[in-house]
Amino acid sequence: MHRPRFRLSPSLANRLTIGFVIAFAVLTGLAVIGVARFLQQREDFENATARSYQREIEARDSLARGQNPAAARAAIVSQQRRRQALSDEISSETRDTALLVGAGLIAGLTGAALLFTGLIASMRRPLENLVEASGRLAGGDLDVRVAVGGLAETATLAAAFNKMAEDLQRRAGERDQLDRMKDEFVLTASHELRSPLTSVQGFAELLLLEREKLGPRQAETVEVILDSTRHLVRLLNDLLDLARSDAGRLTIRPEPAGAAGLIEDAVRTMRAQIDARRQKLSLEIETDLPQIEADQDRVRQVLVNLLANANEYCPEGAGIGVKAHRAGADVEIDVIDDGPGMPEQQLEHIFERFTRGDAGETQRVGGTGLGLAISKSLIELHGGTIEADSTPGQGSIFRIRLPAIGAPDPADTERSGAEA
Amino acid sequence: MAKILLADDSETILLLLRTRLEMEGHEVETAADGQEVVDRVSAAGPPDVLLLDAMMPRKSGIDALRELRAAGIDTPALIVSAHTDGGDGEDHADLEIAAYITKPIDFDALFAKITDLTTR
Repeated sequence: MHRPRFRLSPSLANRLTIGFVIAFAVLTGLAVIGVARFLQQREDFENATARSYQREIEARDSLARGQNPAAARAAIVSQQRRRQALSDEISSETRDTALLVGAGLIAGLTGAALLFTGLIASMRRPLENLVEASGRLAGGDLDVRVAVGGLAETATLAAAFNKMAEDLQRRAGERDQLDRMKDEFVLTASHELRSPLTSVQGFAELLLLEREKLGPRQAETVEVILDSTRHLVRLLNDLLDLARSDAGRLTIRPEPAGAAGLIEDAVRTMRAQIDARRQKLSLEIETDLPQIEADQDRVRQVLVNLLANANEYCPEGAGIGVKAHRAGADVEIDVIDDGPGMPEQQLEHIFERFTRGDAGETQRVGGTGLGLAISKSLIELHGGTIEADSTPGQGSIFRIRLPAIGAPDPADTERSGAEA
Repeated sequence: MAKILLADDSETILLLLRTRLEMEGHEVETAADGQEVVDRVSAAGPPDVLLLDAMMPRKSGIDALRELRAAGIDTPALIVSAHTDGGDGEDHADLEIAAYITKPIDFDALFAKITDLTTR
């Protein structure tokens, strides 16, 4: 970094500024007096010269008239000498005045230059530091601080900057702590709620096992209990996954798996609900798909989530398709529907939590608004990607890509090719 | 039909599991915590299947299983947990846990697992 050659301490800079202003005033006063005196001398010189010429002319007149010629000649010579002396004197005065004014001017300018260089240098370094620190703070580095020192103004600025950075850091710390408490709370709550829910769901299922002993209204009641319980369980699972994801504790246990089997499992889970809405389901799975490294439960969960969304948001009789094929070093699984689709502004936020279709639809659809956010976390944990595309009125497509096992990575092939 | 030792600190869960397992024709004994499991196995010998809650007061299902494995008992074990693991994020590969059963319980899957473990 550029280091200024000449820097002033803050107190010295302040004193010098005051000193310079006083010196400048004194010098200016002296210069004005000097110049005024010089102008006066100049006038005196001109008057004296004029008088001298007058006397010489008078002497020449008396010489021409022949009155006392010796005295007249002496007077002429004396006047000429006198004018020479006057001229010498004024030349020397002019030189001295010019020298004095010039020296004062140079001294003043040099002093000003030194003072301002010093002042600028004393401010530049702290300002440069502040600019750099502000950039880092804006970039999220909350540990950044600047040295407090230099001129009073930059020192105040630096202290204010440090205080601001400290406040930001303290608040970020408090927010992190709150976040951790929230994660802990959700983890604990969803765990504690699970046992009573297990009982409610289990005993409701037990009642339904003896459906023939129940009246139709009783059976229906138990089914409502079961449906609500399942929804609650789904919500709990989603909240738990999200809290884990936020706490960095969402983990997967990948093992080699076939995409086709996972798709078939997911379709089997969703079959009844898809049939209930008389939706047409088509599968298009490429043969000889390479295996993927997948936590089977989790990938199945994502596929079921995508199918459930298609099932719930598409009208009766809509078409839903699942396609799987190889795409470079990945296996791509697409879940496609010809349902209502989504407008651009909804599509942008589709993987954010608690984002759901428009209000009218979500009243009917019983999702949690968390499924896609979790799906994204899960697919990314697998080293894959998930993206959505949609045309309003024509349908949506959700595209998952997961790295295939043993598939030559195109980058690797290129590299080894280059080496060979 | 299998002889199953069931442990959970919640009486309602115990009642639920016991009812469903007995309806399937299994013979069920229950314990309220891990210590009871260890005591019962050392007194009456191992059952066909252990079905243990991961978290229980006094002694957890995981700790009880660790003691049993240390004593050379290799009875197939299923761990019931609110999570997809023992709840502590650890693998417990050394405990030879046949499967984790998550709450709420998918009974069809549980019955299939028990059949699978006892007919091998």
